[in-house]
Amino acid sequence: MKLLLIEDEPALRSTLLESLRQGGYVVEVAPDFAQAHEKIRLYRYDCVLLDLTLPGGNGLDLLRTLKTENPAAGVLVLTARDSLEDRVSGLDLGADDYLIKPFHLSELNARLRAIIRRRQFQGQHHIVFRDLLVWPERAEVLVHGEALTLTRKEYDLLLYLLANPGRVLTKEAIAEHLCGDAVDAADSFDFIYTHLKNLRKKLQEKGADNYIRTMYGVGYKLSGE
Amino acid sequence: MKLLAATNRYYLALVAVLFAAASGALYYGVNAALRHEVDEQLGLHQRKIEVLVQAGQPLVSSLFADQFVVSARPRPLGLVDTILPDPYERTWVPHRQLTFRLHSQGQPKWVTLRKSLVETNDLLAVVLGIMLGVLVTLMLSVLLLNRWLSERLWRQFYHTLAVLRRYDLQQHRPLALPRPRIEEFAELNLAVTHLSERLVADYESLREFTANAAHETQTPLAIMQAQLEQLLQVPALGDDPTAAPLLADLYGATRRLSRLHQALGLLSKIENRQFAEAQPLDLAAVLDEKVDQLAPLLEARELRLHRHVEQAPVQAMHPGLADSLLHNLLYNAIKHNQLGGDITVRLSAEALEISNPGPAIDGNPSRFFERFRKHHAAAESPGLGLSIVQQIGAYYGFAVTYSYAAAGQRHTLRVAFRPAAG
Repeated sequence: MKLLLIEDEPALRSTLLESLRQGGYVVEVAPDFAQAHEKIRLYRYDCVLLDLTLPGGNGLDLLRTLKTENPAAGVLVLTARDSLEDRVSGLDLGADDYLIKPFHLSELNARLRAIIRRRQFQGQHHIVFRDLLVWPERAEVLVHGEALTLTRKEYDLLLYLLANPGRVLTKEAIAEHLCGDAVDAADSFDFIYTHLKNLRKKLQEKGADNYIRTMYGVGYKLSGE
Repeated sequence: MKLLAATNRYYLALVAVLFAAASGALYYGVNAALRHEVDEQLGLHQRKIEVLVQAGQPLVSSLFADQFVVSARPRPLGLVDTILPDPYERTWVPHRQLTFRLHSQGQPKWVTLRKSLVETNDLLAVVLGIMLGVLVTLMLSVLLLNRWLSERLWRQFYHTLAVLRRYDLQQHRPLALPRPRIEEFAELNLAVTHLSERLVADYESLREFTANAAHETQTPLAIMQAQLEQLLQVPALGDDPTAAPLLADLYGATRRLSRLHQALGLLSKIENRQFAEAQPLDLAAVLDEKVDQLAPLLEARELRLHRHVEQAPVQAMHPGLADSLLHNLLYNAIKHNQLGGDITVRLSAEALEISNPGPAIDGNPSRFFERFRKHHAAAESPGLGLSIVQQIGAYYGFAVTYSYAAAGQRHTLRVAFRPAAG
């Protein structure tokens, strides 16, 4: 899976690069408009992560080029909070999704997975993790071949965990994933606990034990072993 | 009191005092002059009579018996005031009389000459009447003149005043005041225009500073958050059980900081009117979406939600602001609720009303909308939610009000879309 990361801020670029490589992607980077433009014209990518504010040009122009050169590639726009109008025009120009800085890396992984899944397999994709088999387009979860009935939020949570196998997910990231950027007070994180407890119990009942680990004081992790 | 009324008052007082003094002086002056004239005439008559008598003419009594009296018995000599009856008009008339002695045909005689003072009094009355008439006319015309002046000359001043009263800094425009002919008003307008230009410039630089500061903070925040999250993935963290929670707290704090930053950014954007044109929006749909998003929170606090939505209330709003408005109102109702309570949302074409139970909150309700206003000083949220609600309300001309019903212990926030005029 080949990605192009277009981001001008060096520290953010290297952190994103590291995180994406850990996620198993092949990643190339472009720090400015000219290099990004060249790479888009020369190579093929499965998905492009595009920062809209770039030195040397407007990210929206890159988006236009990309849509003519390589319409199959997915585009995830990374945008600053104050460029609300850019975000809208980005989606109009054919971006698949957008993330507002600062974002959770785990959220980035989840969005990326969703874009690639939609783009490359036209929905004919399943996720396998240990004894789990998930058909996202049908919202179907099987454990050892047996169907698992989950509420929508539990299913969302499971998909989120599956997009970040082995990664520590903070309470903040999970809460915001479930409530859509909506929660801010620390005292409202208790609801995550309830959902995770229910999800764990249902997995356990089907024999998928010890998948979700609690990282004390930090958050949760989908464990590979 | 208006400036003109104040000057009028002093002016009229001065005029009244001057006129009273002048009238008094005039009365006594004219009176004295007239009496002096009468006395001189009487003296003149006396000499005439004395000359005639010395030449041997006899003293004959006159037809005007009351003006010329000859007596053989002694009478007090000299000038004196007296009052005599007027037999025809049946009134008492003031007279001046002069008595002197002379020898006529060897016998001493006492002659009394009299002159009526009625004419003198009439003259005085006319003079004083004219003076008072002029006084009243002058006062009235001063009042009328000033009224006219205040309408004509002061119009410029009142215009400036009205412009200042309407002035809104957030429109980013200095005052455009005319240059009147009156020098004082021209100077005033010039000074006020300069002041407004400076205000606009200061405000603009402050706004730019805030916007730049916000933009520049965003990148370091994004880097901090991303690197902290990466740091949390380092396997070596497992060696020290205290390290990971510390990092997680740091991560949480970074997140809070960026939320605060977002909220302040939103507030300044609303104040700067940086939102594009409003579009017709189905608030009920936005409400449903928000309720869906916040469902896990409602569930966790065992809150029941009652929705009363009247047929499709469409409002012209920016989608982002509509979202923020509903989010902050709902979130506020969740946060200040009690376990197992409820949230009642009433949405109609007139207003959006969200109420929730809870104990009374100390303090002045009008201050709840202030920035960084918190229910508890230690609360984790920065206390900007209601401030955002109010700013959005102000942006679209909605009236946002808070009320508390002590009986049912319910807090109600009401956003009236079409507030009553005034």
